[in-house]
Amino acid sequence: MKMVLSQRQREELNKAIADYLGSNGYTDALEAFKKEADMTGEMDRKFGGLLEKKWTSVIRLQKKVMELESKLSEAQKEFIEGAPTRAKRTPAEWIPRPPEKFCLTGHRATITKVIFHPVFSLMVSSSEDATIKVWDFESGEYERTLKGHTDSVQDIAFDHHGKLLVSCSADMSIKLWDFNQTFECVKTMHGHDHNVSSVAFSPSGDIVYSASRDKTIKAWEVATGYCIKTYKGHREWVRMVRVSPDGTLLASCSNDQTVRIWNADTNECKMELREHEHVVECVSWAGEAAGAAVNEAAGGDNRRANHQGPFLASGSRDKSIKIWDVSTGQCVATLVGHDNWVRGVAWHPGGRHLLSASDDKTLRVWDVAHTRSLKTLYAHHHFATSLDFHRSLPYVISGSVDQTVKVWECR
Amino acid sequence: MNPCSVAAPQLDTEGDGRWNSIHNRFLSDAKGKDADVIFIGDSILQALEHTELWNQWFAPLHCLNFSIHRDQTQNVLWRIKNGELDHVDPKVIVVHVGTNNVEHSPEQVCEGILEIIRTIKDKHPSVYIVLPSLLPRGQHPNMLREKNAKINQLLKEKVANMKKVEMVFIDKGFVQADGTISHHDMHDYLILTNAACRKAFEPVHDLLQQILSEGEPEKDLTPSE
Repeated sequence: MKMVLSQRQREELNKAIADYLGSNGYTDALEAFKKEADMTGEMDRKFGGLLEKKWTSVIRLQKKVMELESKLSEAQKEFIEGAPTRAKRTPAEWIPRPPEKFCLTGHRATITKVIFHPVFSLMVSSSEDATIKVWDFESGEYERTLKGHTDSVQDIAFDHHGKLLVSCSADMSIKLWDFNQTFECVKTMHGHDHNVSSVAFSPSGDIVYSASRDKTIKAWEVATGYCIKTYKGHREWVRMVRVSPDGTLLASCSNDQTVRIWNADTNECKMELREHEHVVECVSWAGEAAGAAVNEAAGGDNRRANHQGPFLASGSRDKSIKIWDVSTGQCVATLVGHDNWVRGVAWHPGGRHLLSASDDKTLRVWDVAHTRSLKTLYAHHHFATSLDFHRSLPYVISGSVDQTVKVWECR
Repeated sequence: MNPCSVAAPQLDTEGDGRWNSIHNRFLSDAKGKDADVIFIGDSILQALEHTELWNQWFAPLHCLNFSIHRDQTQNVLWRIKNGELDHVDPKVIVVHVGTNNVEHSPEQVCEGILEIIRTIKDKHPSVYIVLPSLLPRGQHPNMLREKNAKINQLLKEKVANMKKVEMVFIDKGFVQADGTISHHDMHDYLILTNAACRKAFEPVHDLLQQILSEGEPEKDLTPSE
């Protein structure tokens, strides 16, 4: 690419170069340059630092241009395609659309996790302010606060009835909360030697799995509160643990940049998935419905691959999301588009879309079959840390470092 | 012995132990947050954290700010030697301290800052250290302004040949033609206002972005004809 400068521009460039040489003490070069470029007299102050300024502003402008372009294409898409009306939406197709339905405030620090209640129209948020809050996502009303942890609450999960809530914290404890009547802490379990970063219920609800910065995953018997198994293998902080829909496998991810698949019953590590290039922040098991879209993504042009699954999505600080076939350990698709760490992923119940939350402050909706970003929601003023998709109702919730929880309605 | 380069906690002159409380909070923040950039220093950096600018420019880069009001070089040194940078793995550390060392000579303060650099390098050999220059202070010309200019000059010469140590000059443009500093730039003639923060820390932000994006593929956005 050839670019031509006008006479005036060239003179300015020369002066800026002269200023650069002068202010960096390249006096010989400056003299030679002045002579060759035929420059005389004193330098105008307006050229001070001009060259550096142009140099750095290019990077800033590039960033700005990309931001604006993606916003523009988003707006165009919205304008051309529009969104279906409430009446015409179908559960397999609906996706969250701006603006948010509710912006809920009350937490006094970063929101670490948001989850839906499996039965009632409730949602729960956990925060670095050491509390858990319960909200009604249909009315936007605040319901109550669960207090008991003494440090940042890192993760929360419901059993399948929604009668028990489990939470874990940087205070190294795991707590079970009665969600049937009393909303009180019914059990506290200790055993990890460090920050507990993640918890999950087995599908039957008898066992709670926890992951910790002490590099281990532990299984706890809900009835007794005893630790019944420890899964060792990760070389660093374990960030998240999630149980497969049938309860036989655990998926975990870690600062050691790997995703591991464990046999839940025997604590044997079945697989180590390494392709991410930075800390893996989150994992999410796909439901049955996702099989078709994932195979389309893996197959490429006109071909449908024949992966059996189960499938798992993982999000990383390398800004990418990967989808894995856990039966073979292959990475079948990579979703690229976020501009900062990916912190949360959740499958659309319809199986064709995946949603993600990122430190670039956005939520994204991905078209899995075509491995592309379908929609970007400029969701929060600060890092988006977590999101959840309701299993049957058209709602998505997100949480952020900006201390707000948002409810998004799908159309 | 140079008092600027011998680690010492800030004296609890008021008797409420706040300095220690803040230090302990930083220790626990350091453990869980995985920051890519850590700011450590005095009032100037502490004030930065409470500006709109911080959220807009610095927070998205995954920054932590370990700065304490009125800290001097020996206090920052003490905090570093007592764990604040032990459980972290940042790519860049931004250091700004020295303007509060009012009793010490420019040479002593400069040596104190160099000792901080050496201590950081011992703990994190591959980290990039960014040094925003000391700002002028006081409404009218005074000894401390001259001293800060002198410290900047000395430090610039000392770090010129160090690898991965970069000094950024943020002190220009605050002293007006008549020699005064406006309260629109520094409300108490020491600490920057929001607007002035933007002016002063823009080059720091630019530099951080460049350091953090080094190694990523460059995107060509020049308009093609």
